[in-house]
Amino acid sequence: MEAKQILPKMPKSWNPASKPHKFCPGCGHGLVLKALGQVIDELNIQDRVVFGCDIGCSLLSWDFFNVDTVQTHHGRTTPVIVGIKRANPELITIAYMGDGGGYAIGSQHLVNAANRNDNITAILVNNTVYAMTGGQMAPTTMPDQKTETTPYGRDIKETGYPMLGPEMVAAIAHEGAYVARGSIAKFRQLKTFIKKAIENQMAGRGFSFVEALSTCPTNWRTNAEKTWDFVENIMPQYFPIGEYKVPGGKEE
Amino acid sequence: MAQKDPEYLKKAISVDVHAGKATFTIFPGLCKGCGLCREKCPEQALDWSHKLGVYGTPTVSPNPELCKACRICEQVCPDCAITIGRKEKEKEEK
Repeated sequence: MEAKQILPKMPKSWNPASKPHKFCPGCGHGLVLKALGQVIDELNIQDRVVFGCDIGCSLLSWDFFNVDTVQTHHGRTTPVIVGIKRANPELITIAYMGDGGGYAIGSQHLVNAANRNDNITAILVNNTVYAMTGGQMAPTTMPDQKTETTPYGRDIKETGYPMLGPEMVAAIAHEGAYVARGSIAKFRQLKTFIKKAIENQMAGRGFSFVEALSTCPTNWRTNAEKTWDFVENIMPQYFPIGEYKVPGGKEE
Repeated sequence: MAQKDPEYLKKAISVDVHAGKATFTIFPGLCKGCGLCREKCPEQALDWSHKLGVYGTPTVSPNPELCKACRICEQVCPDCAITIGRKEKEKEEK
């Protein structure tokens, strides 16, 4: 043993007592939350943040950070976080949800919060399946993707098209909103998007929404190589990465 | 801190890499054996280790001759199980 003990390079805002965290091996939530933790550290806002998590795999982040955390009903993270923000505008409020909570049961709240231009930050993690319940088809399952309930691949004639969230939010959001889609395969870019989204909220400009393409090796039934291939090469074909709405209109 | 140190700090394994210029530390108490780091390594320097991680899956160990301490594995680890320290930088900071 060395005199000086080497510590894991966790963001300071992480709660070290709850690690190793509860996500599966290879889960992208860890990387999205690492990016968010680093952003909270860099902006030095740990004592002002309220973090809200949804039902689904994202609820496993309930003790992830050393920040005030609320765990809400399924899909209701956005309105709870909006309420907290309206009651105490000094706080920096972050709604953290999966694609089930944001695009299926919670889409009404996402649409209305975007339309009202509520001054919150929503981070949505898209892994194309309902992961916690065993990998059923989700609104974001891609055409011909095999899941537990679409064993022959998703047939878009029967089940419709996958949800393109940032495109939808950018279409209905007003001036001042920030909308982007990042990927855990481009960690630095994702971190920049999350940072811009939180700074947008701190500046009081309006609704900030970041979707993060993420991995689910457990339900995709992929090894590490195929997991990277899916999130790097296959997912961006349907879910293009980039900024969709920036205050002042200078999308990347 | 009144809290006792978490369990994962006790079993850290450090390896000197990049001709002794850097230290690769793996925390088997955090590593879940997903292998994402192993795929992302540009030098193919990471291989499975006999040391088992928190879920009883193999952790990774670096090849000290191939590892260039580029920190990609540190960045892509969802569990922060890998820490890379560069020795010259530490001296400069002091």
